[in-house]
Amino acid sequence: MTGWLKGAVGPPDNDSRYLLDVHRRDLPGQDTMARYDDSDEVDLCIVGAGAGGSVLAQRLARCGWRIVIIEAGPFWHPDEDWVSDEAGSHQLYWTQERVIGGEDPIEMGKNNSGRGVGGSMVHYAGYTPRFHPSDFETRTLDGVGADWPISYWDLKPHYEQVERELPVAGQDWPWGDPHRYPFSPHPIGEAAQVLWRGAIERGIEMRVGPVGIVNGTFGNRPHCIYRGFCLQGCKVNAKASPYVTHLPDALAHGVEIRASSMAVPVEIAAAGGQATGVTYVREGDDTHHHQRARAVAVCGYSIETPRLLLHSTSRRFPHGLGNDCDQVGRYVMVQGASQTAGRFPDELRMYKGPPPEVSSEQFYETDESRGFARGFSIQTVSPQPIGWAEHVLADGHWGKSLREYMRDYNHWTTIGVLNELLPHPENRVTLADDTDPYGIPVARFDFSRSENDKANMAYSTDVIKDILKAAGAQDVLTIQRYAHLVGGGRMGTRPEESVVDSDHRIWGVPNLFLSDGSVCPTQGSANPALTIMALASRLAQRLAGGQLDPTRAGDRAAA
Amino acid sequence: MIGRYPDYDVLDNAENWDQATREVVTARLKPYGPLRFFTAQEEPALRALCDVTTGQDSEPRVPVAEMVDEKLAAGRLDGYRYANMPRDTDTWRLVLRGLDETARDRSGAHGGFSAADADTREGIVAGLSDGSLSGGAWDELDVTRAFSVCMRAILAAFYSHPWAWNEIGYGGPAYPQGYMRLGPTAILEPHERRGATSEDPVRNVEGDGS
Repeated sequence: MTGWLKGAVGPPDNDSRYLLDVHRRDLPGQDTMARYDDSDEVDLCIVGAGAGGSVLAQRLARCGWRIVIIEAGPFWHPDEDWVSDEAGSHQLYWTQERVIGGEDPIEMGKNNSGRGVGGSMVHYAGYTPRFHPSDFETRTLDGVGADWPISYWDLKPHYEQVERELPVAGQDWPWGDPHRYPFSPHPIGEAAQVLWRGAIERGIEMRVGPVGIVNGTFGNRPHCIYRGFCLQGCKVNAKASPYVTHLPDALAHGVEIRASSMAVPVEIAAAGGQATGVTYVREGDDTHHHQRARAVAVCGYSIETPRLLLHSTSRRFPHGLGNDCDQVGRYVMVQGASQTAGRFPDELRMYKGPPPEVSSEQFYETDESRGFARGFSIQTVSPQPIGWAEHVLADGHWGKSLREYMRDYNHWTTIGVLNELLPHPENRVTLADDTDPYGIPVARFDFSRSENDKANMAYSTDVIKDILKAAGAQDVLTIQRYAHLVGGGRMGTRPEESVVDSDHRIWGVPNLFLSDGSVCPTQGSANPALTIMALASRLAQRLAGGQLDPTRAGDRAAA
Repeated sequence: MIGRYPDYDVLDNAENWDQATREVVTARLKPYGPLRFFTAQEEPALRALCDVTTGQDSEPRVPVAEMVDEKLAAGRLDGYRYANMPRDTDTWRLVLRGLDETARDRSGAHGGFSAADADTREGIVAGLSDGSLSGGAWDELDVTRAFSVCMRAILAAFYSHPWAWNEIGYGGPAYPQGYMRLGPTAILEPHERRGATSEDPVRNVEGDGS
């Protein structure tokens, strides 16, 4: 049972926290990591060094697997590359062209897409809630969404292990499957205190955390300094991302990360239908390289993973890899993420302290009296000036009116929601007509909300406005927005309705796996990072334990 | 720029910032060269649009036009394009052309958007923000989305400038120093300054007090 001895027990089988350098933020081991030749048939080639790919690599490297990770973005040198500045952090995001469509187009880039070693977790806010047990069977319980082929209880030991590795700080958690956290809750700023008082006034329970931010020290990782730039990359090494939690240990166990290398197609042997490796292009070098591998894991997240599969065509898969049943790229989900800010007479200075502080899952489950299925969570956030300006603009203010609201910045505090928007087949990634500099078609992402989604978002916005009113806000401003990504390569029990089986294995290709957020059939109202890591941890355990033989075709009955 | 924090300068604390952050932020204070992305013909409308949307009407100005130009010239895109819209770079050129066309239609001013009087310019930008402009360049754009493309770049430029931070009393970068005084509200970091006044923005802008 974790959480009894706060901060005292570290995770087993992961030395990342000790491998980090106290004086430099560079990823230790970059200069001395293993190097494999393209012609060397490694045990596993992973595409994408983010939450899913990094955990998978770290676990399997510990079991002696020889692994190469192909990563499109750069190796970071945080001391020089990362800054305490919003506009200066542009390079952390996936800013290559993507086309957005549908009735409710989703902004990409800094909103939800990372690029570089460490992936999007380099610039996520830091909230690390678990999914609820109900998220894995929404079809059975509520008649909406989909049932997963696995349950919460399959993931629970991996949630606990990853929470120890990040490590997660927060109060004892009363919602979903009640649990404790390995580190104590952080102190919170005045801006969050005000919101919490409003929630209490309205009978809404909130708790501090859960955040993947060190409270105390953790090996060579120091205590958070509350500078507030979690979304710009943590220069302190206090906030968890694979860069500090899993990749140091992975490199120490023989993993090679080939950064600034864009995967082109995954190749399938004509005979046997097995993946043979990954073709990639290095930045500034047009020649195609091919890394041979015994197995391949695509971990590029909900936009790039479907894009890579869709343009990996072959005689066996003319419509894209694993796309015999037209399932690749479908059921991509985002969460509604409206934010409401309130104005108070006192200066609250919301820029001080991490943006994630206090949250509530009281509205997470279905309550039929609300008039829609599933629910939402409530989380405090705290935009820096550019984010705050976008918030003010969204309420219709520009010019002199915007300047006036902005001058008042220190008097405002902000609370947001995460709505569980339901999976829909037409919310999907396809290939656009435009191509990128490598000649690969760019991704197009279409998104439209259902009536249930709209009702959920409208209801939740009223709840947070009410919290601000109860807290004594003199004025409120609301921005409707979206956050996070999952789906696009979902797991299931039949190829007609899914892309991978319960072992993350692409239907029809025994040695090709997806290990990222794209496999989630539903998303709950929880930030996805922890679940993506836990899923990768479970997959690694099954691969290492031999329950899963990459040389043999998937068994449908076992799924 | 006189704000609510008249004796506050975020740069007083710059010596406590890490070097990488200090270089990125102070580079915004250096003089900018001539525009590289926008043409001489587009420049007046660009400057006027940046002025109207950020409420700047006198020197010293935050060099928003130069900062936007630098971003576009360097090809720093935001990572998405609406399916019914051209690329951001083309959107910008169409918007500036549209502003000039509409200004000539409305006021007969030969000089275009920048030569129109303040009320005309405000009215045109209001039409840009609510999507009511039409004809000419506007018919090639989804007008409200074009406004959001421009405002994304304009606001990111304006509110990344230390002068704007001074105006709003923002504490600024804090690495490796950190913030240790998170509340209650009476407690400030040594470099922070309390606001000298405490007016309500809603009353000032939308009420009768303006």
